[in-house]
Amino acid sequence: MALLEVENLRIELTTRDGTAPVIDDLSFTLEAGETLSFVGESGCGKSMTALALMGLLPDKIGRIASGAIRFEGEDLTTASPARLRDIRGNDISMIFQEPMTSLNPVFTIGEQIAEVLRAHQGLSRQAAWDHAVELLDAVRIPNPKDRASAYPFQMSGGQRQRAMIAMALACKPKILIADEPTTALDVTVQAQIFDLLRDLRSQTGTSIILITHDMGAVAEMAERMIVMYAGRKAELGPVAQVIRHARHPYTQGLIACVPHLHDVLTEDRPELFEVPGIVPALKDFGQDACLFASRCVHVTDACRSKRPEPVTFDNGQIADCWHAEAM
Amino acid sequence: MTDAPLLDVQNLTVRFEVKRGWGKKSYLYAVDDVSFQVKRGQTLGIVGESGSGKTTAALAVARLVNAHAGTAHLDGEDILTKEGEELRRMRRRVQFIFQDPYSSLNPRKRVSDIVREPLDSLSDKSEAEKDKIVDELFEAVGLRREQQRLFPHQFSGGQRQRIGIARALATRPELIICDEAVSALDVAVQAQILNLLRRLQKEYGLTYLFISHDLGVVQHMCDSIAVMYMGKIVEQADRLSLFNSAQHPYTQALLSAVPRVDHPGQISDKRILIPGDPPDPSNLPPGCRFASRCPMVQPACKTDEPHPREISASHQAACILLDQAE
Repeated sequence: MALLEVENLRIELTTRDGTAPVIDDLSFTLEAGETLSFVGESGCGKSMTALALMGLLPDKIGRIASGAIRFEGEDLTTASPARLRDIRGNDISMIFQEPMTSLNPVFTIGEQIAEVLRAHQGLSRQAAWDHAVELLDAVRIPNPKDRASAYPFQMSGGQRQRAMIAMALACKPKILIADEPTTALDVTVQAQIFDLLRDLRSQTGTSIILITHDMGAVAEMAERMIVMYAGRKAELGPVAQVIRHARHPYTQGLIACVPHLHDVLTEDRPELFEVPGIVPALKDFGQDACLFASRCVHVTDACRSKRPEPVTFDNGQIADCWHAEAM
Repeated sequence: MTDAPLLDVQNLTVRFEVKRGWGKKSYLYAVDDVSFQVKRGQTLGIVGESGSGKTTAALAVARLVNAHAGTAHLDGEDILTKEGEELRRMRRRVQFIFQDPYSSLNPRKRVSDIVREPLDSLSDKSEAEKDKIVDELFEAVGLRREQQRLFPHQFSGGQRQRIGIARALATRPELIICDEAVSALDVAVQAQILNLLRRLQKEYGLTYLFISHDLGVVQHMCDSIAVMYMGKIVEQADRLSLFNSAQHPYTQALLSAVPRVDHPGQISDKRILIPGDPPDPSNLPPGCRFASRCPMVQPACKTDEPHPREISASHQAACILLDQAE
């Protein structure tokens, strides 16, 4: 049994224009110790998936309309708030994008990490503090004893993100959700954070769900990836295969439109591949058609009139495209 | 056309006053003794991490912050000493595209007025001429004529950046400074804007000073690149030399830190991890500013400041190791 199984998940958001499926029929599994990556542009439902897994959908606006999220066999969509609170931070925890806004500015880093330990593991004040210092050491913050008494504003962006990771790992979670963990950081610091996450994963066996828009980060960190577009899965598969031969035109576009660094640079500088247009507005989600059709170069009548069925390939790649076999 | 550079910046220094309490003050040198040139019709990229001074250097060239020392010549005329009417005339020739297309457009103005504003304040064209220019600009950046009457909030991020580009083009400048012009955009939209910038460069013969932290984008856009660290240019070279044979340890580390898509699943064994954070910019250590994080640090690095050394005609780097190699 997979550690996490998401089955036909549908999340609806209530907006002024009515209800829209911000996640539409999403299914995937996550194995223990695996890194799975979600990729896509903003507004495609990557972060919503993460919030749903954590049971943190915005109250009264977002709700799980149908489907199941099974964590070790237990359905989280029907779990009580108390049970969810027990799981959050303990079994599934999350690192957010902007460490400055997601840490509490009026408590020291040490207090904030210790709070997690006291709430979930019932440690005493002193024991929790000592453990917090150990955790800061584990995420390679120099001089952790002193730094535990520092406030978030006294730390650099990279150190704040390390403190966030320490907090997320405090209870040795089985799943760590990292939502754009390095977007706000410089590239050399990003390399440090990725290095840290990889080491921690091999030490603790935690599964990681990495949400990002950077195909390079996916190639470096993840074993499998899911490309999201307009609330739907566009493509799913092993990272190496998908990058080498994407079967969905959106995935192909995402890879081709970024000027990547290559091992040897040549004089040649062709125009970048363009995916015209932008992600459709929320009110257009959920139509019975391919939502990528308006931006796709391979579009045919079938794409405009019917939602594509997933096509499974021998190597485990699944693409939701009418023309996947021909790609 | 001559071989003289369009923009020639020599020994530029920008410092900010920092209050220390009890009436004491000290200075933070955001840009420290920086020199670079951009040839007409070419693109110079300035890369570096946040706080390295790349934006401040560009702001000084655009006369949006005051330089403390140094010179900047545009086509032989000194930018930094101009005042009054002369400065106004100079501003026509140097324009700026800002990072955040959400906060750099006035939300209470129609976009046609936003694009027209530089013409109103910097040129002496007639109203009819201005209308015609605005029409042309909208077409050039790929927006429809009927969109001119709309307000910024009615546009997407990519469209707003197109409006910012149209505004920068309004006075027919020679030099355009793009400060992280695509960083706030999604990758698909980023590709659209990068292609647009390159097309406009060809059409209008523009010269770009292109500031970015994204090495992939810089590699794609620029003819030559300057790498900044803590207010200094540590390495400067043409595109191929910099990306294929970087000499400075910081540049090497920076390049190796970028995740690649070439070999999914395996981490490059060339990855150089540089530990720690940059030093406090208001209290810089003596010697090389990168010494505290450099994997190849020597005792001399902590005392002697490295000077730029020529590796080839179009490639300079400032590192003691290069001096010792001689």
